[in-house]
This record gives sequence, structure tokens and C-alpha cells, in this order.
Amino acid sequence: MADDTTEHVLYAERPEWSDVVPIPQYENIQPLAPIFYTPEYKDATDYFRGIVKTGEKSLRVLQLTETIIRLNPAHYSAWQYRYETLIVISAPLEPELVLTNALTKASPKTYQVWHHRQLLLTALRDPMPELAFNEEVLKADAKNYHTWSHRQWVLAHFDQAELWAGELPFVERLLNEDVRNNSAWHHRFFVSFENGSKGGTGEGADEAVRRELAFVKGKIALAPNNASAWNYLRGALNHTHLPYSTQAAFVELYVVDAVDADADRVLDLENPPPSQGAQLPCLAAIEFMADVHEARGKEGISEAVKLWRSLAHTHDTIRKRYWEFRIRDAVANTSVA
Amino acid sequence: MSRPTPIDAYPTATSNLQADTENILQDHVPLEGGGGGCVLHKNRHLELLVRNLAQGFPARYVSQDASQPWLMFWTLQSFSALQIAIDPDTKQRAIDTIMQWQHPDGGFGGGSGQAAHLLPTYAAVCSLAIVGRHGPGGGWDQIDRCVMRLYRFDLYPMRRRDKLYKWYLSLKQPDGSFIVSNHGEVDVRGIYCLLVVALILDIMTPELVNGTPAFIASCQTYEGGFSSASHPHIFDGILAAQRPSLGEAHGGYTFCALASWVLLQPYISAGEDAPRVDVRRLLRWLVNMQGLEIELGGFKGRTNKLVDGCYSWWVGGAFALLEALGVSPHVPAPASAHEGETAKPAESGWNDADDSFFNRHALQEFILFAGQHPAGGLRDKPPKNPDAYHTAYCISGLSAAQHRVYPSPARREVVRAAWEGEDGVRAAAFAEALCWTEEDGGSYIVGSAANRVNATHPLFNLTITHAEGIMAHFYKQTVPKRPPKPSH
Ligand SMILES: [Zn+2]
Repeated sequence: MADDTTEHVLYAERPEWSDVVPIPQYENIQPLAPIFYTPEYKDATDYFRGIVKTGEKSLRVLQLTETIIRLNPAHYSAWQYRYETLIVISAPLEPELVLTNALTKASPKTYQVWHHRQLLLTALRDPMPELAFNEEVLKADAKNYHTWSHRQWVLAHFDQAELWAGELPFVERLLNEDVRNNSAWHHRFFVSFENGSKGGTGEGADEAVRRELAFVKGKIALAPNNASAWNYLRGALNHTHLPYSTQAAFVELYVVDAVDADADRVLDLENPPPSQGAQLPCLAAIEFMADVHEARGKEGISEAVKLWRSLAHTHDTIRKRYWEFRIRDAVANTSVA
Repeated sequence: MSRPTPIDAYPTATSNLQADTENILQDHVPLEGGGGGCVLHKNRHLELLVRNLAQGFPARYVSQDASQPWLMFWTLQSFSALQIAIDPDTKQRAIDTIMQWQHPDGGFGGGSGQAAHLLPTYAAVCSLAIVGRHGPGGGWDQIDRCVMRLYRFDLYPMRRRDKLYKWYLSLKQPDGSFIVSNHGEVDVRGIYCLLVVALILDIMTPELVNGTPAFIASCQTYEGGFSSASHPHIFDGILAAQRPSLGEAHGGYTFCALASWVLLQPYISAGEDAPRVDVRRLLRWLVNMQGLEIELGGFKGRTNKLVDGCYSWWVGGAFALLEALGVSPHVPAPASAHEGETAKPAESGWNDADDSFFNRHALQEFILFAGQHPAGGLRDKPPKNPDAYHTAYCISGLSAAQHRVYPSPARREVVRAAWEGEDGVRAAAFAEALCWTEEDGGSYIVGSAANRVNATHPLFNLTITHAEGIMAHFYKQTVPKRPPKPSH
């Protein structure tokens, strides 16, 4: 284990390492743009080069690579050599996973630490505790790309019904905490629509899309100006080849200028209205309706152009160029057709 | 005053962070008539770059010890973009340093004695495109040639490039992807880096990239951008059609996937089951990464995340690549159709003189106002410190916003006509790579003309001159001279 608490002794001063010939990084040249290494780091990597040269794979290599990894978790060669050593000396992998847990929490934004977990999990074949550990890491950073893609890897790679079973409630919890967390929305899409070919949530595609449309519309109603939710709505429709026009009645509620505070509230579960605090019109709704009109062909085009113009000139001026392109493009396509 | 991002009276962690960032960014807008705000502080940035190159990087860069070729590339490419030539002695030291990173079994490692890895291999080869040359000690022929001293026991001495090719093949996976190193992970950054090097060094073959386009296509997510990788479900040796994307759409991965897709075009055979990318959905995602006026029009890397200077290149630089796929902002508008569409409405503030998919003016302002650190170097955004990575990609992004570089059919013809040897996919790939041309009169520079940085090749992030030089060498071709540009 690492000498976290004790004073670090250089490898050059450890008698049990005296048989290894350390190799400095650069011999005979004055490198350009060098890094000013700390003495500990230089010492450990000099010995690492010495070990790589002789090809030694032994218990002490685990100690050396751990030292390097703790100083620089992105040292992929140390990780690689460590993995090979673990396999060659048939080291037990459970304690390695425990150590990797600590390293993961210390450096969750490092590619190598997550990949090392994958190598270990592939060998250990016990994925269930991994989801709990993953959730723990997400608590510290709910948008860490590596954490999420790793979770998706665990689900897809092992593809077991028990693994998938808890995912929808899990991701719903995260979206309840922050409805704008796009990583969570992507995970929801992954779970609902890309859930492997044997495991999955065990439901039909129709059932999934009905549930997901209701879910996302509820979240749009809560906070309409949320690009993640609108992308999800579009994604669900595209994935299941449903035309956008099927949602026009819902989306129309979000292109008006203001929330109608006096309107009688008719509970329409299919088309939940915007919350009282909603800032309308919602530009994603305008864009959505423009797409609905464009899909109608020649008849719809002038309505679509009107909406795109309002985006270009009023509601989404930073993307003026894009909306103008959409107008030119749609007009060119309809006149040819 | 610009409008804040609407929060619908429903604050969450994301909207709180967003609001804080908007406030900080607004503090960096120079006061009206204050002057100075629109200046690219080239000298300050150069001082930092020179210090890093000549003296070295401080100890906090130990975290990048396995990315030394990247530190080199970011620094050298920043010089190139800032129009600074490097003296012969420094070039030679750079070459000698880079060659220390070459692995005896092919490829380059992140430092001397480190394992070969796809990412540093790109950074090393692109660095050699900038500082290398043919001839002894020039780097280029050292990638190419067998070193007899090391391989005297080999019966058939292999050239280094053959080793590189064999190493590449050893990384290939059944789903068409590549792992980044022995026992390493798969992601589209590695594939982009592999494809660029294979193309530049003339070792690209249909065999090498068989199945790779389908892998890239499978990384497109429902949002339109690309994720880091996809998961292959393989049953009884057969790859299932559905390959779920691992991770959400992300600016860095999207650039790498899109550039890979463009590089692979000569190797994709048409047909019913040819892999497809939804370019319209990709365009929509890309434009939506541009932050609002209140965010100074910088780019973000994911939906509902914050703007960050490096995405000026990863996202801002991606638009040019769409042109290679036939998606251009220059759609001919029929004269008879809707009135007024072709006329450019007069408007103050943003410049309307260009046709592009994104707001080039705003992106330049973001980099000038928020990207520059007062002490030199560029950054993610205030109050962060500058670093080598953000310096390079803010400058590259500034270049992408200033210039229009497009695949020129005329240039493609000229390059193809000058091709010597067998006409085939190799000749086509060479011409596709070198047809990219800076549009005359297509530049739009915020601030004074002194803010100009060099145009950069949209696929490689090298200057076009450097890309031509190294490719001409490895393909043993003469690239026809370009017509002289009007002086600026
Ligand atoms: Zn960044």
C-alpha cells in the first residue's frame, strides 16, 4: 500500500531496489519544453524505465507503479505495466479493485483509472456492486463524463436484467435533483431505448415510448427552457419514427407569449401546460413547431419561415445565421419539389 | 443588456452555475469606448509560449508527463497560428526531443521510455510537420527508416513506418474501432489521431479502416453530436446492428468523430448498407453549442454545460468540416421565392457580412474578452488560469472564426492533375486532404488587422503549408504552388 502517512523514501535510497538500474528520461540531449519534475516523481519514473527495460514483473512492480499512479494518475504506461504484472504474477484482483476505488475517487477525471476498472471487472465478473460505487462517484460530480460512460459500459457489457432493473428509478432520482443534467437525460435514453439486446427492461418499444413521452413532457412543463428535455423529446420521436406533428397540441402551449394565469386548468395528462413560472415563448417550442410546419411541405413553409424569422430576429439572435440558413434551405427545397 | 438564460423560476444546480458564469463573463465585457478590449495580446502569449519552450513547464504539469508530445504540439502550433517562425536551432532541438519519444516497436509514447499510444503519436507527427524536414536528423526520414543499430538482428529490417502500420493493426477491434494502446481503451479521439497520422504518413489502407466508418457512425447520439465510443454487442461472432453510444454528445468527441468521418470518405463504398451519419441533426447540435450573447457567444461542449475556450476549436472548428460533406451555409436561394430572404437585414452590433453557420463575431469576442489571461496565455474562462492546451485551442478557435477554409473543387483538380503514379484511392485521399483552401476575401477579423492569426487546416489543425509540406514528402509528390494571396 502507499505510504500516504509516512515520509516518502526515494527508490534510490531503498536497499531492496538497489539491484535495479534507474534510467533517466533523457540521455545525451537537452530536451525542449521539459517538465520540472519533483524529486519523488523523477526518482519513481527513472526506476520504472529501469524495470520496463528488464521486463521484470513482480510484486514490487505493483508498489512502484502505485507510487507513479498516485503522483500522476494519467501515466498510462504505469497502468498498462501494472495490469500486465497483475496477470503475470496471478495477483488477486479483489484487493486491486479496492485500491482502484480509492484511486477513482481521488482522480475521477482520468481515463486510465476507469479503464483499469473495466479490465478488473471483466476478469472478476461481479458487476452488481459497481453500480452502487458508480452512484457514489456521481454524488461528487453528477456530470462526470467518464463516470457515466463507465456506468453504461457496465450495463451493456454484462447486460443482465438485474442490472438494468434499477436504472430508471435511479436516473429519475437524478433528474429530480437537477432536471437540467444532460448526462442523466442521455442515460435515460440509453436505458429506455438502447438497453441491450437480451437484458433490457423487458418491455416493448411502444410501452417505452409512451412512458418516455409522458415523462419528458412533464419535465418540460416544469421548466420549459431546458434544452436537454427538448433534445430528449426529439430523440424519442426520431428513434421511434413518430412524426413531430403527433406532439403539436402539446408544444403549441409553449409558443404563446405568456402563461395564461386565469385560464381554467383542465387536467390534460397528454399535454401538460407550462408551469406558472415559465418564461414564454419557449424558443425550443418555436423551433419544434417550425419543424412540424416544414414537414407539411409547400403548405406549411410560410408558417415555418415566420417562426424561423422570429427566432433569427427576436428569440434566438445568436443563431441568426443558422435560422437564416434553415429558411434558405427550406425555401430552396420546396420550390424544387 | 443581454438576456440571461431563462430559469423558469425553477433553479437547479445547473442553472445556478450558469447564472454565476454569466455574471462573471459580463464583467469581462470592455466598457463602451474603453478601447483595448478588442486586442489579441500576441506578445504576452508569445512570452509565455517561449518560456514554456525554452525553460520548461512548471511542476504542476507533472500531470501531463504522459502527454509531452501534446505540450510540444500545442506550443508549436500556437507559434504557427501566431505567425511566428521558429529558428533552426530550436527546431533541431524539438526534432531531437520528439524522436526520443518514438517507441522501438512503432508509434510514439507520451515521453521517453513510455509505451506507444495513439494520441501522442498524432501530437508527435504533427509537431514534426511543423519543425521537421527530410534528410539526416530532420525527423521525417527517422519515422520512415529502419535504424540498423537497433534492429541488426532482424532478418528483414523493417522500416519504422511498417512497424507503425503493424502496431496500428494490432490495436484494431472487431467493431472497426481501435484501442489507444496495448490493453488500452477505445475512443474516437484515438481513431481521429490514428487516421490523421495514417493519412499524413501514407500508410492508410482499406484494410486498416475496414469497419471504422460504421463504428464512427454508431457514436452519433440522439442529440446529434457524438459520444466517446459505442458498445458492440457481439453474439456468436456477429456484431449486432444496435451499438449504444457510451456517454452523451460532447464537443471534443464530436470534432474527432466528424473529422474521422470526413477522412474516411474515400474509403466508404456507396450502397444500401453503407453507414450513415445524420448531418442535419449534427449541424443542429453544433449550432446549439454556441452560448448566448450573455455568455459572449463562446462554445460549450455539452448541452446545459458552460462555455469553455477550448470548444472554440472543437465545436467552432467543426463547421468547416461539414462543407466536405456537402453541407454549406451557401444555399442558393431561388429568386422567385419568399421576398427579402436573400437581402441582408441591416443591423448594428453583430456583423452580417459573412455566411456561416455560427456567429463568428461573437466567438472572437468571447476569446478576446474572456479567453485571454491578463498575464498571457489563454484559458477555459475567467477566473481560471491559462494552460498550454487552452492556449492552443483558443487560438485555433479564433482562427476558425476569422477564416473560411473550404474544400476547393478547383484546388482538388490541380492537386489531382499533378499526381504522379497510379490513380486510385490513395491519389483521391491525397487530393481530398490537400484541397482545403483559405477563401479569398472570406476572412472576418474582430478588432484591428493585427489580431489576425493564420488559417489552419480543418482536418489536422496545422497550417495548410505545414500539411502540404509533410504530405508531399511522404507521398513523394510535388504539390503545385498556390496562387499568391493578396497581401493583408
Ligand atoms: Zn476546456
